[in-house]
Amino acid sequence: MLKMTHLSKVYRTEVVETYALRDFNIDVKEGEFVAVTGPSGSGKTTFLTIAGLLETFTGGEYHLDGVEVSHLNDNARSKIRNEKIGFIFQAFNLIPDLNVFDNVEVPLRYRGMKSAERKKRIMESLERVGLASRAKHYPAELSGGQQQRVAIARALAGSPRLLLADEPTGNLDTQMARSVLELLEEIHREGATIVMVTHDPELAARAQRNVHVIDGQVVDLAEDPRFHAHVAQVAEATHGR
Amino acid sequence: MMQIKPILAALKRHKAGTILIALQIALTLAIVCNALFIIQQRVDRLSRPTGMIETDLMAIQNRWVGIDDEATAPLVKADIQILRSLPGVEDAVSTNSFPLRGGGWSMGVRLNPTAKKPITQTTLYFVDDHALPTMGAKLIAGRNFRADEVVTIDPKVFESSPVVIITKALADKVFPDGSALGKQIYITEGAPSSTVIGIVERLQVPWNGNFANKFEGNSTLLPIQLSGNFSAYLIRSKPGQLASVLKAAPAALFKANRMRVIPSERGVRTYADVREQAYKSDRGMAILMGIICVVLLAITAAGIVGLTSFWVGQRRKQIGVRRALGATKHDILSYFLTENLLIGIGGVVVGAMLAVGMNLWLMQQFEMARLSPVYVIAGVIVLLLLGQGAVLAPAMRAARVSPVEATRSV
Repeated sequence: MLKMTHLSKVYRTEVVETYALRDFNIDVKEGEFVAVTGPSGSGKTTFLTIAGLLETFTGGEYHLDGVEVSHLNDNARSKIRNEKIGFIFQAFNLIPDLNVFDNVEVPLRYRGMKSAERKKRIMESLERVGLASRAKHYPAELSGGQQQRVAIARALAGSPRLLLADEPTGNLDTQMARSVLELLEEIHREGATIVMVTHDPELAARAQRNVHVIDGQVVDLAEDPRFHAHVAQVAEATHGR
Repeated sequence: MMQIKPILAALKRHKAGTILIALQIALTLAIVCNALFIIQQRVDRLSRPTGMIETDLMAIQNRWVGIDDEATAPLVKADIQILRSLPGVEDAVSTNSFPLRGGGWSMGVRLNPTAKKPITQTTLYFVDDHALPTMGAKLIAGRNFRADEVVTIDPKVFESSPVVIITKALADKVFPDGSALGKQIYITEGAPSSTVIGIVERLQVPWNGNFANKFEGNSTLLPIQLSGNFSAYLIRSKPGQLASVLKAAPAALFKANRMRVIPSERGVRTYADVREQAYKSDRGMAILMGIICVVLLAITAAGIVGLTSFWVGQRRKQIGVRRALGATKHDILSYFLTENLLIGIGGVVVGAMLAVGMNLWLMQQFEMARLSPVYVIAGVIVLLLLGQGAVLAPAMRAARVSPVEATRSV
């Protein structure tokens, strides 16, 4: 479903080259629920933006649903984002000027879907996340958990092949985070492929598989000294409190 | 166009900016439509032909000093003889006034001498048999005056002339069936009639103000030389010799008789100068209105650019989210163009009504003509195109916002 091989992302300025991803390799199979973890600045969000075709990469190969995406133009990338990928952002990213119904409708409109089909899908998605009764509400009138559920409904409405979640519970309290996570697990059980970026080990533990990113590379946790150093650092910080 | 509903929904949440820009568009449309209409009217007026051949034509205004009014007739006759004999002069005529001079003599025209109300107004040009060739006015029916028909009369006792030449406009007004030639008309209530012996194609009245609009082509030529203190001479030079005649004519007149004043300003003028001075205020008004239009349109365009730029800046994250959800650059561009078009349509609908309302008010207050719908339609198109043009740069900036903006936290 999602395969990156020797992928790199370099940010260049006049004086410095910064590798956000270096020789990055990952292979996510269809139907998997993968958590991508790592400390801040490790490159996991860069991975997500490249995986979601929000950004281009510098080198290597990236196959999404069997298509090598490096040579696609902006319109083709937009089309893939629209049809194959569902995004769930940490900050929900609902459009404040639109009500819940209209927010869920946004990607469907860009797909050029007929009005009746759009309406059917929107209501199904909102029912799926338990917010059909809030269709006419504006984001500001909803709790954080409800807003994230609307964002999930928006991601689901287009029946994407891949769900990309960026710290989906990062802005939620424990109870709301749990309910959102349960919803993601339920969606996964129904066959969706989910890649979730998080720095929360507890959240990552709920995924089927964990991929750890350090310094822009996927690492084998058992063998990588940087992981052990990171664990030791966390432990020290915990004991030091 | 697939985005109209969500755009309208979003605009409802930004009422203040939307209404302000729509109102600005509405006011601009109302003012620009009426201003363009006024400009067009002025341009039409500026372009009206006088009915004379204006090239190689000049005018001299002469005032006698220290000479009784009754004694001026032979002096005028002598002046005319001098002018006609000057080298380079084709012909010359003495007249009380001429088209666009600004002052003249007007009377009511009647078919019944005792009728209280005249059929229409006409200006009277007191001339002789040299008027038509000097002016270059085209006789389309009948004949010119004969020299023996020309008489000298004291203006205080003037009532009528046995024969007159009238313009086609006047003939059509008084005799709509087209049978003016040979008919009798009355130019003074209760006075003897005048027989129409000739019809000229066109000869404008001396005035160009609004009051004369209704009879601007109604002129009557009479074979009369008025005795009096003032006389105006129209002189036609031979082709290309106007400049030399312009100098030679006043010099010759002064040489013949120094008991006269030819004003330094407007005393000796080419007819091009006469036209230029007559329409100075019309031209000024047209230029002023044009400047107002340009300034207003520029302010409106700047307002649209400003508001859209502000909205683009405010919605960077939202644009990124839309891009992440599958919007192409073209979708974003078309979002902002459509948004502007919707505001513009709201503005021009109100503006069209305001334009008509403003015109009705101007009609009542300043006797302006009814605004043609063409101006409103043209104004609507111009304002909508202006809006789309103004929004293009900020909209293109919006289209360049990267989808990765969606993942930025601020």
